[in-house]
Amino acid sequence: MKKFVLAFVSLAFLTVGPYVPAAAADWPSKPVKLIVAYGPGGGTDITARLLAQGLEKVTGKPFVVVNITGGAGWTGWAAIANANPDGYTIGYLNIPNMYMGYLDPRLKRAENIESFTLIMNHVVDPCVWTVRADSPYKTLKDLIGAIKKSPGKFSIATHGNGGDDHLAYLDMKRITGIEMNVIHNNSTALSRSQLLGGHVDILGANVSEVFQNHQSRDMIVLGVMDEKRSPFLPDVPTFKEHGYDAQWASTRGIGAPAGLPDAIVQSLTEALARVIESPEHQAKAKQLGLGLKVIPEAEYKITIKSYEQHIKTLMGW
Amino acid sequence: MPDILIVLSNLSSSSSILAILGGICGGLVVGFLPGLTSNMAIALLLPVTFVMPPIPALLMLVSVYASSIYAGSFSAILLHTPGTSASAATVLDGFVLTRRGESNKALRIATFSSMVGGAVSALALLLLAPPLSRISLLFGPAEYFFVAVFGLSVVGSLSSGSVAKGLLSGALGLLFSTVGLDLDSGYPRFCFGFNGLHAGLAFVPAVIGLFSMAQVLVMAESSHKSIRRVDAPGGLKWRVFPRLSEIRKIKTTVLRSSFIGVLLGILPGVGADISSWVSYNEAKRFSKKPERFGKGAIEGIAASETANNANTGGAMIPMLTLGIPGSPSAAVLMGALVIQGLVPGHQIFESHGDIIYTVIIGFFLANILMGFIGMYATRYLSHITALPNYMLIPVIVLFSVVGSYSLDHSMFSVVTMLSFGFLGFLMRKIGMPPAPMILGLILGPFAETGFRQALILSQGDLLSYLFKSPISLILIVLTILSMATTVWLNFRKGRKPLLAGQESKEE
Repeated sequence: MKKFVLAFVSLAFLTVGPYVPAAAADWPSKPVKLIVAYGPGGGTDITARLLAQGLEKVTGKPFVVVNITGGAGWTGWAAIANANPDGYTIGYLNIPNMYMGYLDPRLKRAENIESFTLIMNHVVDPCVWTVRADSPYKTLKDLIGAIKKSPGKFSIATHGNGGDDHLAYLDMKRITGIEMNVIHNNSTALSRSQLLGGHVDILGANVSEVFQNHQSRDMIVLGVMDEKRSPFLPDVPTFKEHGYDAQWASTRGIGAPAGLPDAIVQSLTEALARVIESPEHQAKAKQLGLGLKVIPEAEYKITIKSYEQHIKTLMGW
Repeated sequence: MPDILIVLSNLSSSSSILAILGGICGGLVVGFLPGLTSNMAIALLLPVTFVMPPIPALLMLVSVYASSIYAGSFSAILLHTPGTSASAATVLDGFVLTRRGESNKALRIATFSSMVGGAVSALALLLLAPPLSRISLLFGPAEYFFVAVFGLSVVGSLSSGSVAKGLLSGALGLLFSTVGLDLDSGYPRFCFGFNGLHAGLAFVPAVIGLFSMAQVLVMAESSHKSIRRVDAPGGLKWRVFPRLSEIRKIKTTVLRSSFIGVLLGILPGVGADISSWVSYNEAKRFSKKPERFGKGAIEGIAASETANNANTGGAMIPMLTLGIPGSPSAAVLMGALVIQGLVPGHQIFESHGDIIYTVIIGFFLANILMGFIGMYATRYLSHITALPNYMLIPVIVLFSVVGSYSLDHSMFSVVTMLSFGFLGFLMRKIGMPPAPMILGLILGPFAETGFRQALILSQGDLLSYLFKSPISLILIVLTILSMATTVWLNFRKGRKPLLAGQESKEE
């Protein structure tokens, strides 16, 4: 009898268990979860809520932003990786903040970038170096020269070991040989008040975080680590213009669990493109200082993979 | 300053009034439910405000902010479950009063204090924003370190029983606060291979566990012997306003806590929870009868609830004038400002004066209105305490589990909450107070980060870096005073044990 019950139960599991993906043609037929690995109100969260609103309009189904935080972001990213690849769980991937979780051998993580179906990049927020309005250094060249003259006397506030601001500093250190004291804060608000209060000399941040301070002349952005000047800071030269080939940014893209059927990838990509290209979305993003940069799936993956080795070298992993 | 008539006409439009009322009601619900935080509520409403004009949009968000912090006191007082982590200190005295059938008293004190604290912070925002925001810039790593040390110096006095057990509880809290990826090196500390611990032990589940779960376990322990009911509040004798005698008793506490709340509010990262604990301790230290704290002292409730609401306006001061949010909720509010095309900075009061002044005055009104709506709602809500234990226990467990889960949608938080609940229960059994542990958990990272940053920035000359600023020196003096009073109070208690016992009995 017991055996019979056991057999019956396992049979039931066998028939129901294997997941049958819903017909991709009618995706989405129910609400979609959009996972954000950071808390409500952060940059990624606001970006996600902006996108979700647009996606709901385009597809007619709700896109629900779910903040799964913790584990330095990886609790949320692992939740995306380990979900059913049925198109009903997607989420934001944050590059380069994700690298540390799987490249740092000390963390022994099972997931890596192969655990995701990369859909497309959405936002690129380049790194910048900012100083106080009354700083004696008016250009990036002046500043780098001064730092070189007195190694270990200057300080820079960044956003945590292995984060984009820290990697940007390490890369500049590699390029120019400068040596600074690095102060890590877990909130940019604190870093900003440390800069304005004169406790640190330089703030390593992103365009969206400081472009308003630059406009109001409370802080001066000396350089943008991008190929071209930022539309939000047209008067600020790039690092490249000064001869330092450092290009760093915090990026936010959309990913899904590995193995998402091609048809759904296509529907999702189309829906995303329609939202991101809409004038409404563009206008809101402009107000928030978000640089929209759609990088399609294939190129997105190549970019991510190509940086891995560079970062391993910089961080000594 | 723009024409006052414009501001008033902005405020009296139906959309403004609806936004404030809607915001207050939403905030009350969010604040009451444990685990739903005020910044989560504001973030959830953010997309709604995308399509609204700036004035009602911002009025709704600031109303949610104020009333959610206020409503955290409801569940703290009625269910021994802090609705937001900022109301944890309210539990200590509030629940004692509820147990005595005086929940109405506890709630009206909390309401009055929250209203005053919030209103004072709105006035500070209106009149003193630019100079106050400059103060926040004076606080560098050394000053943050000493703020944390000052906060920790109250650990001894928070332990109503044995000081040694209080210190041990605080030390454990500090130890727990070191769990997680180290910000400087990225090294996983005390994670023992659990990836879920990389961001550290989640604070809100820990608070819910230490307070509510532990309480549930204590209640469950006795319910099989007898059905102990908490007295139902007298429905007819429901007072909305505190008695004059009560106001007289708490007026200095309320004033002091408003000041502490606003001041700590303007410091980025220092949230409503720290304000509430620091002002609770200051109230205890200045009190003539500190032994009554933790036994239903209304000054305790007043201190905690004034300070956490005073923190809200304070947190908006550097957000408006410098673009530096003083709290996570203020950070989300800043997002809303920016979306509406209002750029924070010293010029915002001139460039968008009519909107900003309307919002600040609306915030002031919201702080007053929320009290009336809150007292009306709690009149019915407070009947929950009339439930017998066997019904109340599942209700609290439900709130605790759902609250912990909804915080970050992970079962790991629920496990954290349950573990701290069990730990809290064991601590209650051996007479170890949970409050110092909470303080250690909150302040540990501040002390550590401040010290390590000071170490890096001092370039080898740590002592002169730490002691160079007047603010550091003031904080050091306050810390020494705080510890000295604790020692002195214990000395006095030791000498007059009989009298102290009588006093606590008569309260």
